[in-house]
Amino acid sequence: MIEANGRPGAPTAAVEARGLVKHYNDVEAVRGVDLHVAPGEVFGFLGPNGAGKSTTVRMLTTLLTITAGEARVCGIDVTADPDGARRRIGVALQEAGLDPRQTGRELLVLQARLFGMSAADAADRAERLLALVELEGAADRRIKGYSGGMKRRLDLASALVHEPEVLFLDEPTTGLDPASRLTVWEEVRRINGRGTTVFLTTQYLEEADQLCNRLAIIDDGLIVRQGTPASLKADLRQRWGEDREPTLDDVFLDATGRSRERIAGEVQEVSA
Amino acid sequence: MSAAVALGQRSLREYMRSLDAIVPTLFIPIFFLVVNTGQAAKIFPSGSTPFLHGQGYGAFQLPTTLLLASSFGAAALFLVEEIEGGYFDKLRATPIPRAAIVLGRLIAEGAKCVAIAAVIILLALPFGITIASGAIGFVLLILLTAGWGVVYSGFMQLIALKTRSAAATQSGGLVFFPLLFLTPNFVPRDMLTRPMEVAATINPVTYLMEALRSLILEDLHWAKIWPGFAVIAGLGVLMLWLNVRVIARYD
Repeated sequence: MIEANGRPGAPTAAVEARGLVKHYNDVEAVRGVDLHVAPGEVFGFLGPNGAGKSTTVRMLTTLLTITAGEARVCGIDVTADPDGARRRIGVALQEAGLDPRQTGRELLVLQARLFGMSAADAADRAERLLALVELEGAADRRIKGYSGGMKRRLDLASALVHEPEVLFLDEPTTGLDPASRLTVWEEVRRINGRGTTVFLTTQYLEEADQLCNRLAIIDDGLIVRQGTPASLKADLRQRWGEDREPTLDDVFLDATGRSRERIAGEVQEVSA
Repeated sequence: MSAAVALGQRSLREYMRSLDAIVPTLFIPIFFLVVNTGQAAKIFPSGSTPFLHGQGYGAFQLPTTLLLASSFGAAALFLVEEIEGGYFDKLRATPIPRAAIVLGRLIAEGAKCVAIAAVIILLALPFGITIASGAIGFVLLILLTAGWGVVYSGFMQLIALKTRSAAATQSGGLVFFPLLFLTPNFVPRDMLTRPMEVAATINPVTYLMEALRSLILEDLHWAKIWPGFAVIAGLGVLMLWLNVRVIARYD
């Protein structure tokens, strides 16, 4: 493996996938995904519903078996050494995975214990994380009474308990009000500012534009675009041959073969 | 092991905060004890029924009550909630042995069954039921009951992991009733009809029930006690192995 960052043995990629495939019986959910996420990046992973975003994330985070291909996180093969990979990553999935009968503090302490911390260290770590996500006031309340935004922040804190090198966030702001969404964005920037690589899936193109250094668009189980937001827009502008500045929405629609009219139709169908 | 203990402590907190889900596990078995004893006590008077060893028919029925109380499998229903809510995936994403995820809930289930068995036995004492095998027998009764609770909870967890459905898991729990009624539930095995005797001999719950019954009605009778523990050990290892296998292959 090529060494980088001046550190011997440091992998060049925080996340790397080659020919990643996932089949569910006859359904090909992911059909050969190649990814390369550099350490320290905020990497956006976009795609329409059912495109294969969550399936890819679940394979990268050891939660799903891989049908074919290989995936490495921090240089560790997620199939060969899943526990090694789990120690290096934090995961906050689409549904905030919390135990509603515990308090916020209990949940964080338990999470820290499961990552091998002593009881005292776990309590200390929980205290610091509660302060980080501004939940000290609600720390000893049961989670079932938390608002959606509070649950999302707690989920984020639980993913950070062991100071992971790579943080996977699967649609972290879906269903949140605008204020809570901005809070999560600030958190993501703060986490990334401390050197953590962030792998973010989102349906919100504005979110990707605001947060991501680079992004990939997946459609029907295949990566159809990959690059920086600026380079993807520049590429589309060149192909359009017009002066009009494309937005990330335009890039997304172009990449997934959708049109605004078609999407409007899909929305009408859904709402009917 | 520390991960399993930490998860066990969490599950115990879960029970303490969900007493409404626990109370029926105490009430329904006691209801059956009262009803079954009320219906059959006159048929089997203690003075002229040798298999009662001088006690009332309630003492003969107590093992059924204990087994029923430890076969509700609330842990599996909490597990389904956890799967549906996403917390199960959060646990799977931690670097703990897969066995710890299974054992955490089973440890708590065992502790819960110890408490429930102790309460039921203590409630039975004022009604003339005595534990003929004494203090050691009392402890063994509780251990056997809790052991069965762990085994049955392991079975229910298996259904929960395979189906990920609360309805299917709850339906799976009903399997216990045929198992319970294919035992020498109302009379000793040698008094059953031939087909029922064969069915009871094949049924592992029979040996558990006979072990519990001997502890209540007779002195420490190891030839009857050890098969009960053997059933729990064998089925316990099988359930743990199957649960870990399912979690390891969970997609």
